[in-house]
Amino acid sequence: MPLKGFAGFATRKALAAVTTIFAIICLNFLIFRLLPGDPIRMMFRDPRVSAEQLQLMTEKFGLDKPLWGQFLAYLQALFQGDLGISFWQKRAVLEVIADRIPQTLLLVVTALTIAIILGILLGAISGWKSGTRLDTFILTASLSMYSIPAFSLGIILMLIFAFYLSIFPLGGISTPASGFTGLGYWRDVLWHMFLPTISIVFWYIGEYVLLTRSSMLDTLDQDYITTARAKGLKEFAILRNHALRNALLPVVTATGINLAFAVAGIIEVETVFSWPGIGRLVYDAVMKRDYPLLQGTFLVFAVAVVLANLVVDLIYGFIDPRIKVGKAE
Amino acid sequence: MSTVRRRLTEAWGFFQLLLTHRMGVLGLSVFALFAIIALFAPFLHTVDPGKSGVVENILIPPNSQFWLGTDDLARDIWSQVIYGSRISLLIGFLATILTIFVGSLVGLISGFYGGKIEEVLMRITDFFMMLPQLPLMIVLAAVLGPSIWNIVFVVSIVSWPFAARIVRSQVLSLKERAFVEASRCIGASDSFLIFSEIMPNVVPLMFAEAVLIVTEAVYAEAVLSFLGLGDPTTVSWGMMLHFAFESGAMVKAPWWVVPPIVSIVVLILGFTFLGTAVSDVLKPGYKEKRGL
Amino acid sequence: MRTKKGLLSLLVVALLALSLVTACPAPTTTEEVEQLNATIADLEAQLAAANATIVDLEAQLAAAMGEPAEEIAYGGRLDVGFTAGEGLETLLCDSNWQYTEMGCVFWPLVYDQLWIMGPAPDYEVLPMLATSWETEDGITWTFYLREDAVFHDGVPVTAEDVAFTIENLPNADPAWAFTDIITEPGSVKVIDDYTVEFTLEQSIGTRWPAAYWAPILPKHIWEPYTDDMLSFSNDEAIGSGPYKLKEFKAAQYVWFEANEDYWGGRPYLDEVVFRTYGSEDAQYMALKSGEADMIGYLGCSAVAAEDFIGLEDMEVIVSPGIGLQWLSFNLYKDTPLQDLEVRKAIMYGIDRDRVIEMAFLGYAQTADSFIYPEVAEHNPNLPQYAYDVDLANEILDNAGYLDSDGDGMRDDLTFELLAPSDWTDELKAATLIKEQLAEIGIDISLTVLDLDTYYEYIYTPEEEEYEIAIATEEPGPHGEWMWEFCRSYEAGGEGWNTAYWANPDFDEALDAMLAEVDVEQRTAYLYEMQMLMAEDLPYGVLYRPDLINPVRTDEFEGYVETMGGISTWINPWTYFELHLK
Repeated sequence: MPLKGFAGFATRKALAAVTTIFAIICLNFLIFRLLPGDPIRMMFRDPRVSAEQLQLMTEKFGLDKPLWGQFLAYLQALFQGDLGISFWQKRAVLEVIADRIPQTLLLVVTALTIAIILGILLGAISGWKSGTRLDTFILTASLSMYSIPAFSLGIILMLIFAFYLSIFPLGGISTPASGFTGLGYWRDVLWHMFLPTISIVFWYIGEYVLLTRSSMLDTLDQDYITTARAKGLKEFAILRNHALRNALLPVVTATGINLAFAVAGIIEVETVFSWPGIGRLVYDAVMKRDYPLLQGTFLVFAVAVVLANLVVDLIYGFIDPRIKVGKAE
Repeated sequence: MSTVRRRLTEAWGFFQLLLTHRMGVLGLSVFALFAIIALFAPFLHTVDPGKSGVVENILIPPNSQFWLGTDDLARDIWSQVIYGSRISLLIGFLATILTIFVGSLVGLISGFYGGKIEEVLMRITDFFMMLPQLPLMIVLAAVLGPSIWNIVFVVSIVSWPFAARIVRSQVLSLKERAFVEASRCIGASDSFLIFSEIMPNVVPLMFAEAVLIVTEAVYAEAVLSFLGLGDPTTVSWGMMLHFAFESGAMVKAPWWVVPPIVSIVVLILGFTFLGTAVSDVLKPGYKEKRGL
Repeated sequence: MRTKKGLLSLLVVALLALSLVTACPAPTTTEEVEQLNATIADLEAQLAAANATIVDLEAQLAAAMGEPAEEIAYGGRLDVGFTAGEGLETLLCDSNWQYTEMGCVFWPLVYDQLWIMGPAPDYEVLPMLATSWETEDGITWTFYLREDAVFHDGVPVTAEDVAFTIENLPNADPAWAFTDIITEPGSVKVIDDYTVEFTLEQSIGTRWPAAYWAPILPKHIWEPYTDDMLSFSNDEAIGSGPYKLKEFKAAQYVWFEANEDYWGGRPYLDEVVFRTYGSEDAQYMALKSGEADMIGYLGCSAVAAEDFIGLEDMEVIVSPGIGLQWLSFNLYKDTPLQDLEVRKAIMYGIDRDRVIEMAFLGYAQTADSFIYPEVAEHNPNLPQYAYDVDLANEILDNAGYLDSDGDGMRDDLTFELLAPSDWTDELKAATLIKEQLAEIGIDISLTVLDLDTYYEYIYTPEEEEYEIAIATEEPGPHGEWMWEFCRSYEAGGEGWNTAYWANPDFDEALDAMLAEVDVEQRTAYLYEMQMLMAEDLPYGVLYRPDLINPVRTDEFEGYVETMGGISTWINPWTYFELHLK
């Protein structure tokens, strides 16, 4: 019996998300079996390790079981929230990642909010004034910003504003051992955040400008806008009350999908500015070849993207009843 | 023979249409510029980009002998940038070919046969589309080890689902059209249909996709190399940035950092413009709008 | 330092007094008494002169040690820069205390050791928590502890803590290898509150005492975690060292303050801050701006050095390096590298001076052994393999490696040179070596791998995954462990011997050296071992990069220099001795 209405739609979506997450878990497990050599030996860069110690570690990391057994053990551990033990930090991967999440959220939420607001604003203007010089300028600028990889923009901003002009700090999240508390601390954090935030904003803004613009152009072609115009409504009122509101729907959807994309910017910018978040953690995990940690960060990123998409789908389905029908078929 | 001529005429027409688009012109020029640079690299005042120089020439600023200065082994930056374009374009084109091949295969098969096959293939496609690209690329590159072939592979892994989707939807709409139905009626085989009727109509769309894959590949090479997952024995823009960042000579020698960044940005921007132009031109009604 | 100086002057006075007493037989006549009086007056004058000399000597000594004769001021905060990936993420007692740059400088500030290796040039064995120790055979050791040491939480350090550490530290993290405190089960005994005795599994000789570079942990804190010491987060890092942990922010900074109750007197500095920087450039900029006072590990690159020379309030301290670089030849794999003549030709064919000039801008010295030239056990008569293209070509021609197809490369002499991707200096060197060996017709292709795969490959030569590898280690003045690289597989060298070298004479000398109690005989064995290695060339030692340390001098003075620079795992002395100007 097919499920009906929003509840059915939501259940289907959630089921699909769960399947995807399971597939991600399988993929994640398999990729790391492609590694050449023995990961336990790799952990020890020092040859002064005895055979017993090797054996001990192999058991500790569960690598003495056959592949199938390893997979089951991996699944079982996952359900208990155990993502393994970091080779490098010697503690639970989940704990390592959890330590970094607040810093990343701070940076990403700030940057995305700014990028979305500015992007929608510029995109709306561009679409509204389509064909004018302003439109061409905004369009070209957005495409250009979108083309500069976030890390290279970061390097350039860092060279100019941190190295040559010394206006902003050389990286990090706060001044080390400053003893700042309360407001002073947050001011310090804001000062450190400035360049990384700008780098991420620059990268995402283009995406939102382009989306809003094309969605705006579609909306402006609709009959009700023409009607509104015919009724002699003020241009700005039409923009605000009719066009923009309708043009925003696709932008909302895109936010979910863009999260997959946003992850890239986080990794690059956090690396350049040594921002102590998950992005920098990925870089360090790569440098240290800490495979459990790398596996963990990948899982967290992938699951976050799937869940964000699910949330956006649900919100979208809730707002726009037509979608349920459309997607259900 | 006549089909070949017809295709060529079509392609020429498409090219001329592109030239009416400002971004198309810009994009094509950038592409032409880098293609020429890559092809004629040995004749462009270059030396062996990997060959070390003499100690007096270590990290010297741009001058008449070294147009863009030198790096920390007295290697010529100009030559590295020029030869780096070969690596970027090579990775770009190989990744494009691989992506288009896999993507088209999946798209064609699922679009053409439908049913269970389609469902399974599209599930897989959706799954890969859902994965965050850079983390996946990093994980794969870390596991597979540093080489440009692995970068090609990694870029293809993250790009093929998009190609597959586009091809599939195109096949679906073409399948319903009259000429495919007609061929079916006269007993044409599946492969004949795919290659003679459907493929040619999918090509322009794939061209738009291909252009975007090149930008993806250039970006991937740059970012993976920058993160230390590139191959240090090849001269590429990403590796230049990586070495400059790691050496601690970035502030001292901006001429080591700026040229690769500019090259990466210009190439990606050019191809993005080209991609925008191609999809604009392919939109129904483009000719009319332009009054052509 | 000050206690040592005091001891010295006491000794001089005591000797003078002794000479006075022995110079005086009992007086018998007035003449004799007068004569004696004259002698006494004379001696008094001499004593006065000697006293003046002592004062003078003290001043000279103080000057030589970089300490002003007057009272040294306490205070100041020292900011030390580290590279981000080398910072500490946790305070767990794990191998990051050995393998990360910040970790190996961090713990010697917070934790005391039983004994410590002194600074250059003697690297003598100095007492720390232990005041003295005894052993006959290098197997059974008795340590006598000082009675005034106290942990940061006020609990005294006793034999219980030392016994606990010796028993459990080697199991804390298997990735952190201890070789000189692997004890016979049940042999660690607490004799009394300040005496501990234990028996090792095998002799470590007597040149160096046991428990080298092992932090003594407080038993009352760690005991509940004996089974799994990594499960204790160690947030407060309670030790008995000269510094206390003030604040720790993972991946950002470690903030120390002076331990006022330290048994040796508090350090001069009030605070030390280890800060991490995202790139080398950021670190250099911070030094120039005064945000950081020094670099915490391995100093700066040769390229950056000249930017610091001549800057106001900055000094560039160049020290002999602690790292040695060499080529490891895989002698297991069936290649012409098994032929000694080929290895010799390769060594003659490498222009080390040019590598040093290009890759290190001259900041490196050629090296010929696993023992540094300034260390007493270094054999000065080793073959040098000075750059000589003609000789290299002659050797190869005579050995029958000819270029039959005229492509400029000799037949069969095509090798892979393995290097890890994140060692920039070694990569540069490898590029140059490849170019140079092409000159003698050896075709080198460079294979670059991530560090872990690299180690995996070189430590298993029998898997035939590599042919030649560029390798580096920091043996340190202690350095005995380096020789395990040369122990044959038959003699238990598996997992160490990256060259798969087997030489029974060497194995015999190595075992004899390790168990030798007589210092001169031990040196003789080491001479022999070095010669065997240099002649047979399983490893071709190339050079030793200098350490370039730019430091700020506006606020502080008294940076202590050893091999490897002012701050390394063998040198915590800068943090003990540095003080305000």
